[in-house]
Amino acid sequence: MATLRVAKPHDGEGDGEVQVVEGAAMSPWGPDAALAVVGKSHPRLEGPEKVTGRALYAYDVRLPRQLVARVLRSPYPHARVVRVDTSAAAALPGVHAVLSAEDAPEIPWYEDSRLFDRTVRFVGDEVAAVAAESVEVAEDALRLVRVEYEPLPFAATLEDVLRPDAPKLRPDGNLAGEPKTYRRGDPETALRAADVVVEGRYSTASALHNAMEPHGCTAAWEGEHLTLWDSTQSVFTVRQEVAEKLGLPEHRVRVIKQHMGGGFGAKQIAWKHDVIAALLSRRAGRPVQLMLDREAENLAAGNRNPTRQHVRLGARRDGTLTAIQARIEQATGAYQVGGEASNVSGMYQTLYRCPNVATEQVVLYTNTGPAVAFRAPGHVEAAFALEQAMDELARVLGLDPLELRRRNYAAEDQTEGKPYSLPEGLSLCYDRAAEAFGWDPAGSPAADGPKRRGVGFAAHDWAGGSGHPPGYAWVKLNADGTAEVVTGTQDIGTGARTGLAQVAAEELGLPLDRVALHLGDTATGPYSPVSSGSATQASIGPAVRAAAADAVAQLLAAASATMEVAADRLSVRGGRILVDGDLSRAVDVADVTQEIAPHMIRGQGERGPNPEDRAIRTFGAQCVEVEVDTETGEVTLLRVTTAHDCGRIVNPTLVDSQIIGGITQGIGFALTEERVVDGRLGLVLNPNLEEYKVPTVADVPPIEHAHVGVPDTVANPTGAKGIGEPPLIPTAPAIANAVFDAVGVRLRDAPLSRSRLLAALAAQGTDGEVRA
Amino acid sequence: MRRFDYASPATIDDALALLAGGDGAVRPLAGGTDLLTLMKADIATPERLIDIKRLAELDDAIALDADGLSIGALATLDDLEDDPLVRQLAPALAEAAAAAASPQLRNMATIGGNLLQRPRCWYFRSSLVHCWLKGGTECQARDGENALHALFDQSPCVAVHPSDLATALVALDASVRLRGPAGERSLSLGEFFAPPTDDRRTENVLAPDELILSVRIPPPADNARGTYLKAMDRKVWAFALVGVAATVARDGDRIGAARIVLGGVAQTPWRAREAEDLLVGQRPDADLFARAADAALAGAAPLADNGYKIPLARTLIRRALAAVTADGAPPA
Ligand SMILES: Cc1cc2nc3c(=O)[nH]c(=O)nc-3n(C[C@H](O)[C@H](O)[C@H](O)COP(=O)(O)OP(=O)(O)OC[C@H]3O[C@@H](n4cnc5c(N)ncnc54)[C@H](O)[C@@H]3O)c2cc1C
Ligand code: SF4
Repeated sequence: MATLRVAKPHDGEGDGEVQVVEGAAMSPWGPDAALAVVGKSHPRLEGPEKVTGRALYAYDVRLPRQLVARVLRSPYPHARVVRVDTSAAAALPGVHAVLSAEDAPEIPWYEDSRLFDRTVRFVGDEVAAVAAESVEVAEDALRLVRVEYEPLPFAATLEDVLRPDAPKLRPDGNLAGEPKTYRRGDPETALRAADVVVEGRYSTASALHNAMEPHGCTAAWEGEHLTLWDSTQSVFTVRQEVAEKLGLPEHRVRVIKQHMGGGFGAKQIAWKHDVIAALLSRRAGRPVQLMLDREAENLAAGNRNPTRQHVRLGARRDGTLTAIQARIEQATGAYQVGGEASNVSGMYQTLYRCPNVATEQVVLYTNTGPAVAFRAPGHVEAAFALEQAMDELARVLGLDPLELRRRNYAAEDQTEGKPYSLPEGLSLCYDRAAEAFGWDPAGSPAADGPKRRGVGFAAHDWAGGSGHPPGYAWVKLNADGTAEVVTGTQDIGTGARTGLAQVAAEELGLPLDRVALHLGDTATGPYSPVSSGSATQASIGPAVRAAAADAVAQLLAAASATMEVAADRLSVRGGRILVDGDLSRAVDVADVTQEIAPHMIRGQGERGPNPEDRAIRTFGAQCVEVEVDTETGEVTLLRVTTAHDCGRIVNPTLVDSQIIGGITQGIGFALTEERVVDGRLGLVLNPNLEEYKVPTVADVPPIEHAHVGVPDTVANPTGAKGIGEPPLIPTAPAIANAVFDAVGVRLRDAPLSRSRLLAALAAQGTDGEVRA
Repeated sequence: MRRFDYASPATIDDALALLAGGDGAVRPLAGGTDLLTLMKADIATPERLIDIKRLAELDDAIALDADGLSIGALATLDDLEDDPLVRQLAPALAEAAAAAASPQLRNMATIGGNLLQRPRCWYFRSSLVHCWLKGGTECQARDGENALHALFDQSPCVAVHPSDLATALVALDASVRLRGPAGERSLSLGEFFAPPTDDRRTENVLAPDELILSVRIPPPADNARGTYLKAMDRKVWAFALVGVAATVARDGDRIGAARIVLGGVAQTPWRAREAEDLLVGQRPDADLFARAADAALAGAAPLADNGYKIPLARTLIRRALAAVTADGAPPA
């Protein structure tokens, strides 16, 4: 059933790229499809392994003679590495391999630098690495490495790098690429003509991913074959990049990721640790495990870019938006490392209908660890500003903030003029969230004592969740009537294994316990894309469904022969093959698979392209209620209600898990999470979990998920889009809007720390402090 | 972590003998929740650890006698939080213990170690900064990132004492029983905690070869009540931005005696004596509490980023005083 058509455009046509067209048309599961497995809550298939500690994470790999590696990191924010002397380290008993700029292969890395570069550009940049028999020996060895640095001028914060006298961090200056500008209509004129203009300068802090499982891998060579057990969101990306860096053919590199303690966007690429572990392992002739500790994780393995955003909205008195202008500055850290881009300007261009829009996005280098994608990169930052600006506009106009949003509804992607695949998606989110929450902008109880309550609303759109075609899956039917699904995707902790198995079981007509799903291994599974952009279910679900359909067609053909009934009269349900839908004449799938054994039914499926004439988006809306103690600046969340257009809900429990996790991170982004950098020293002061404060369970209020659950049948044949990133996007602005509702101060800098809130309350004279 | 030797002696004398002359290179190990963290970060680098958890005469007992409550140095924060005697006689301590750290840590962390824990100043905790408290010449926090630092200037260092228990214990007029080569001595916690000096870059006067044996809390005065309030960046598992312990003894309808101690504002638990003086002999009311709160913070000298601690401390003082003087609140 798999079709792969390769078309070369005729001379003079197209841009000369080869077009690959594949994907057999499948009729989508519509809203009324009678589904038995999809749509039902099912605990994660690997849940028992995880809660009993048996699931193997990257760190759990233990191979015979395995060594442990540690990395020496730069203590300087910017310096030339003049000399590295590793001789004493190499001589330490128990040390088996050492690498540094002096002797490592010149492997190109990050833009124009090297694996071990002669210039270090942030505190935490890799300088040397050792593999030893224990962590302690490895650390002792690092202390014996002598490095001569020549410190260079640096700028570690966005503020510092924007100063006119900032040092030049790169030969071409401090801009990471040309500013990205976008323009439609004439926003300047529209702003001059607007009835109302609201303007604000916002900033968002750099947030640190802090996945429970840090980055890291175990590398082992068998002859010329390298196996990497890596903590990654993309086994195929890591394979391709590691093969390229090491000059190996791809079939000699195998990347495995079975279970993962989160990535949140920071694990989309091959990081240096992958290649360092592989090189050390080759030198030592033994397997090498290289896991980052929490500090290295927070210095060198990604962060959300800090931003400054200057926003102007123009509107008519009735609330119709006439202009949106945003100028964005963001710090990408020392390098642009690839992976999903941080598109801070995107939401300004698309969330609301507006004819006149201009955005400018300026990305700057700083001497801090590289920024990478972090759960809805760009949109989380943008939503904090845009959604507060909308709230402010509503108040200036005396409108319900929700009503203001309805009056500016966008049913199409205005940057491309394409209608959305589910144009009413956001509107459904508005309805469901408002209804479930009991949204009433005038409903906060009257002030009483120092504690005030308020409600806030925020919305979002997001290009993620649409899937990244192509991607592939295979289905094998075993002789005993069980099925194995093989795909090259990975489960990054979201429960993808379970959601995909449900799709397979549905299409195969098998109960879920007769389906096994294998993923996370480049050696056994066909290509699948990176698990980023909330894409795994939307990317691979349709491929799994197609492979299952292919297997079912073969099964029914075989059954037709063994049962002597025309194939078009047969169907599979609950593990049985029915004739004319009649259960009494059914045989078990196993009867047929056994009959033909050892011949095996093998289905193949692929993820076809997304529709060209529609834009696929995910949407969401959140309402929150907070209580603010005006005397202590303490913000307590009372409840959050959230609604999301993620297409069909394949497994409500898994979707709820994403919502709880996303909102929890949103609460951190709103209230406490902030990478603190001392600009004078170029030093991150809180690369740990004591002083970098992620929310605890006690900080998370009851969360209500108001289901939308309308299948997006235009998006793909399963109707499911993604939910991984969206829940985080509107949380921080909804909280900030609720704080404003409660106490009347607008906090334009995230996080809304106590110091900021208390200062703002004092400035306003409403801190409620009783003074003698 | 660097290599170290480990010894697990059986008696206090053996332990003291091992500590003698070590001058900091030999350290007692209790729960390890602070010491091991500092060692992993390469900030403490002892050559030898003396495990004090198996010393016959050192224990975690909490007992009451005529001199008050005695708490063995090995009592954990979890013990303090749940102990009926502590809850009854020193609720401020039980509340402080309950508000500290996380359940896992409270199971390991001992009261002795808690009083001796080092500051959480992020420059101090960074292995890349050799600040004044670590023997260097400069305090990087004073003109750096100091949102979490001190309001009251006591030394070149502006780190705050991180212990919740210390704040409560000073308000309870507690003392520590110490033993060193020269024998035992007792110090009130007010004397025990002392801002670091050029010659002694620690937050207390414990000698390197001394052990804390126990903590003693005198019997509460008649009609005394106490409480501990803590402001944190999140609901649990964070050090105090500001902590306030208040104990007040009533004398008829007036305040007979009062102690107000602030945490998170100085290098030692900070007694607000002006506020205490102002309260004594007065009838409790909101106006009095507000004046006391103002008096307590009158001498504050905020750094660039920590001014928010002033209104925060004032509020906690007012609330603590209101709580311990409200009618119907349980006595302590
Ligand atoms: C993440 C985290 C959060 C925390 N949050 C809080 C909080 O909110 N509030 C709070 O108050 N504390 C908090 N703490 C600190 C914690 O309470 C202390 O680390 C703990 O109480 C120390 O006790 P310990 O038994 O583990 O001491 P150890 O780490 O074993 O020892 C600490 C120091 O005391 C010395 N020592 C220990 N016992 C004796 C003794 N009997 N005689 C002489 N010297 C001794 C050791 O040599 C060492 O120098 C937190 C700690 C962590 C790691
Ligand atoms: S406040 Fe104290 S601990 Fe912090 S940097 Fe200054 S001297 Fe060091």
